[in-house]
Amino acid sequence: MASLDPRVNRLPKDQLQNALPKAPLDQFGTFEVFVQAREGKPFQHEGIVHAPNLEMAYLLAKEAFTRRFTCVSIYVTDTRHVHVSAMTEGNENAYDQIVEAQSDGKKESYEVYHLLKRGKQHIQVGNVDAGSPDEAMWLASQSLRGEKQVFNVWVIRASEIRFTSEEEKELWLTLPDKKFRDASAYKGGDKLKSFLEKMNP
Amino acid sequence: MYGGGNTFEGIKSDAVANEDPIKLAAFEAKIERGEKIEPSDWMPALYRKQLIRMIEQHAHSEIIGALPEGTWITRAPGFKRKMSLIAKVQDEVGHGQLLYSAAETLGKSREEMIDDLINGKSKYSNIFNYPTFTWADCCFISWLVDAGAIVNQLANAKGSYGPYCRALDRICAEESFHLKYGHHCVIYLASGTQKQRDMFQEALNRWWPPMMHFFGPSDKISVHTETLMKWKVKMGSNDDMRNQFLDMYVPKIQELGFVIPDEKLRKNPETGRWDYTEPDWEEFKRVINGNGPCNKERLEVRRIAEERGKWVREALKAPKSEYVTPLA
Amino acid sequence: MNTEALKELLYKMADDQLILGHRNSEWTGFGPILEEDIAFSSMAQDKIGHSLALYTFLEELGEQDPDTVAFTRHASQFHNCTLVELPNGEYDFSLIRHFLYDTAEALRFESLRQSSFEPLAQVATKIRGELRYHTMHANTWVKQLGSATTESIHRLQKSLDYALPYALGIFEPSPLEHDIIKDGIFVGEEALKSQWMKKVEEVISQTKLRLPAWDTLTAMNGGRVGKHTEYLQPLLDEMSEVFKIDPTAEW
Repeated sequence: MASLDPRVNRLPKDQLQNALPKAPLDQFGTFEVFVQAREGKPFQHEGIVHAPNLEMAYLLAKEAFTRRFTCVSIYVTDTRHVHVSAMTEGNENAYDQIVEAQSDGKKESYEVYHLLKRGKQHIQVGNVDAGSPDEAMWLASQSLRGEKQVFNVWVIRASEIRFTSEEEKELWLTLPDKKFRDASAYKGGDKLKSFLEKMNP
Repeated sequence: MYGGGNTFEGIKSDAVANEDPIKLAAFEAKIERGEKIEPSDWMPALYRKQLIRMIEQHAHSEIIGALPEGTWITRAPGFKRKMSLIAKVQDEVGHGQLLYSAAETLGKSREEMIDDLINGKSKYSNIFNYPTFTWADCCFISWLVDAGAIVNQLANAKGSYGPYCRALDRICAEESFHLKYGHHCVIYLASGTQKQRDMFQEALNRWWPPMMHFFGPSDKISVHTETLMKWKVKMGSNDDMRNQFLDMYVPKIQELGFVIPDEKLRKNPETGRWDYTEPDWEEFKRVINGNGPCNKERLEVRRIAEERGKWVREALKAPKSEYVTPLA
Repeated sequence: MNTEALKELLYKMADDQLILGHRNSEWTGFGPILEEDIAFSSMAQDKIGHSLALYTFLEELGEQDPDTVAFTRHASQFHNCTLVELPNGEYDFSLIRHFLYDTAEALRFESLRQSSFEPLAQVATKIRGELRYHTMHANTWVKQLGSATTESIHRLQKSLDYALPYALGIFEPSPLEHDIIKDGIFVGEEALKSQWMKKVEEVISQTKLRLPAWDTLTAMNGGRVGKHTEYLQPLLDEMSEVFKIDPTAEW
């Protein structure tokens, strides 16, 4: 029977590989996506993309998470490269559970994120130079703890992140102009008003 | 887009009997004081199961929901509508992506969820099993089905599970354009030519019954969901949601001069609730169990899309990857 | 300034973008993986947005409004290259077309940043970020799939072989070009074609795909002068189906 959708009528219906059930990793592994909404603001975790590798994850994250609102930069990392602290609740601070750790490994930069409220997103607070993720956690507890209660800490080795380069920032140049994706472009008020006036003179 | 009402099967009274009472009490106290549950927290098996079911169904609803409006992408009249409709349908796909990600934090893989959609095990919002015969049908969905979904989503955004709340925050922010766009389209049909007005009135006649089904069966025939309400998984009764929708949108439809095809529909001044012809819940059951006008086509289209894309995914899959549950 | 020559340039660019954007939007909801569905759809919106900007310039030069121009002309009045009107086929063809066309488009707009026709120079500068994304996306996909499995390489090769003659039609020579080249409005199709060939060679050399020698290929010209394949009129009929219910109505 023909579909009402002309695109559906053009779909190939035979000679297709049987796709079910899906093999493991048919949808690939996941990458965490971090977005900087404005210059000078901290990056914020926004979610994940499924992607076959880091470069593809970057490309796909750009449209999955920054096709709206404002953005000046993004970065992505494999979910497996995010090292997490315990998750606390009530009045407990995640930093209280981090034990001292030292490492002889080569010092590298780690991005550090805090969760300040359950249900919200992790926010970037700074970076530390450490020889291991555990040492990065420990150093973060010493230098980045701050006054607010922290429920969860993430540290990510910078060398495992696909950052946005300076020249790539033009990717978001026209984002503010895409009004057709914004509620403000659909002010039916005037049309509605003149219609109502015509209907109820 | 998702109405939520048809998710919950009957909860047995001993469903939490096997859970550690101390852990359960702490869990419930956390929810009571408004603290969100995060993926690494202890949670009762029932909580996990019902949340997976609800979030997964919501995700499937978005993916399937892309199809009735997607029907009109290549035929949208004029540049403005063309670009807007592509963006809106793209958002449905995007929302599906966000919601699958939230469900994954509870331990079900996206592969399994997509399998269960296509093999019929998992459900999705019933309203998408109906056909969009005209451009006006497409506008009905863009405006009023989205409006219904937003009522449900705003309520669920206050739920207890962190990842679902985060996904809904983002979805609600993106939906604001959908609602305005949909209303804008219908205002233009209403204030346009007689043909345009008639097109929408006919669409309204077709879509009103499924819209009344959207929030799920009426409370008096619904399953008991007190536990899920206590756990802030279900955030309001089906009839509450339906009444909220009617409060907000019946006046807006009527001010455009359209006639809602239910003579009994009116707000009862004594009860403060809406009176209406009781929707046909047998029809609802028939459609949700696979016998609606478009069920077969919707799943067939998804099956074909997955099959066409298989060689792409296989080519890019790295040989020795492992899968790790997403964090948040 | 030779207005006819300028309009010819704008029409072919606008028609290319509109038809390709329309074709690519057919994938929305049907993509091979959700995240790619979203990305491909964004690029389709971009293309249609670019076409709208160009039709708006045409309106300022005395042509009719964009909706009328886009939704009521017959196929023989369209000046897109035939590459963009071909059906989507499978994802391999759509990706190869995306790569071949977007590489040319990026070079075209980059050269137009120096155009003496102000509006074109401005829009070319403005959309450079969008085009950067389009080519990044195309190059990444072609490089990855073009080096992955026997099947992906075979599929892309077949599509490449099929698409290349049509892609050469992007650069179909125009008898009117001479004036706008002289006026510094445009560098001309020949110049663009050489740059494009180099870029295509550069990317394909990073895959296991084989590029046939350019001189063995015959360009599928005709689109620029309204000679189209059997696919364009049905596409236009579909695109204008609702609009034509009442072209004077507001939707």
